[in-house]
Amino acid sequence: MRKFAKICLWSLTVLLLPLAASAQPEAAAADAGTWGYALGAGLAIGLAGLGCGIGQGLTAGNTTAGIARNPGAAGAMFTNFILGMVLIESIAIYGLVIGYLLQAKIG
Amino acid sequence: MNVFESLEHATGVPWVLWSASFVAAVVLAAALTVRARLAAPDGGLVPDAGVSVRNVIEMLGEMLVGLAEQNMGPRWRTYFPFVASIFLYILIANLIGLVPGMGGATRNPNVTWAWATLSFVVHQYVGIREHGFGYLLHFMGPSLFDVKIGGRTFHVRLLAPIYAVIELISHVSRVFTLAVRLLANMSADAIVVGVWIALVPAVVPALFMGLGVLVAFLQAYVFAMLSMIYIGLALEEAH
Repeated sequence: MRKFAKICLWSLTVLLLPLAASAQPEAAAADAGTWGYALGAGLAIGLAGLGCGIGQGLTAGNTTAGIARNPGAAGAMFTNFILGMVLIESIAIYGLVIGYLLQAKIG
Repeated sequence: MNVFESLEHATGVPWVLWSASFVAAVVLAAALTVRARLAAPDGGLVPDAGVSVRNVIEMLGEMLVGLAEQNMGPRWRTYFPFVASIFLYILIANLIGLVPGMGGATRNPNVTWAWATLSFVVHQYVGIREHGFGYLLHFMGPSLFDVKIGGRTFHVRLLAPIYAVIELISHVSRVFTLAVRLLANMSADAIVVGVWIALVPAVVPALFMGLGVLVAFLQAYVFAMLSMIYIGLALEEAH
């Protein structure tokens, strides 16, 4: 039993060695605004996606209701639908571009 | 990493130029094919059987003609070649960029800014040629009331200072939005496919490539449609 306990203890020590190695302080390579840039990047695309989702959801719903009311005009409605979707999507893309620009400044 | 970059290694010409020239060559080849078919003895009345280059381009052409008539009014024929070139070039550039191993021309800001600048210059020139100095009236907003002085009617545009700023900003932002919309849509799809290949290399990247095909068509369509709308707006009378 003592041999088994000894083996367990030694294995645990070897297993937990990396913790001791990483106990040294990390080199501070980041400037003071890093978390700001990261938070900004995440919020940029997040909020842009939120607005875009709401807008496109409304567009899709209204287009579906319109086609249900008047299936004959579905062609004209489809054109406006696609145009509306792509223009709303472009706002979300602008948010993504800001996210890219901020993410490039991290570190 | 892609075919055009190895060409860049060999010759020192940037890969975007190779990619853009390749797309132009494909568009030219398609155009020459259609023209050869139209030179047939019956004038090309009979469509080919099945799916051929000519049939696809005829379908796209029909759609573009419908849009042009709707947006540019009775004089759409003058400006149709420009808008159709925009559509065909951007469509083929987007689709070629989807093929793994070939660098997308529209993923590079140079190409998209070039097309956006061209579109902007063309529709401003159309407005100036159509209205002369009266084109400035477009920037001055609606006329609130008319004043009759000595037999001529003047439209008084009181909101001109406010409207001039708004219209100027919106006109300048047209270049920006056209370029950035196309560029960001195509690079975003490439990056998403890349990320998914790193995460789940099995089936999911293919789904996003399918989405990329749809986005390629939509972005070419929207670029061409917006150019047509801007030309139509420049052609019509001020408020």
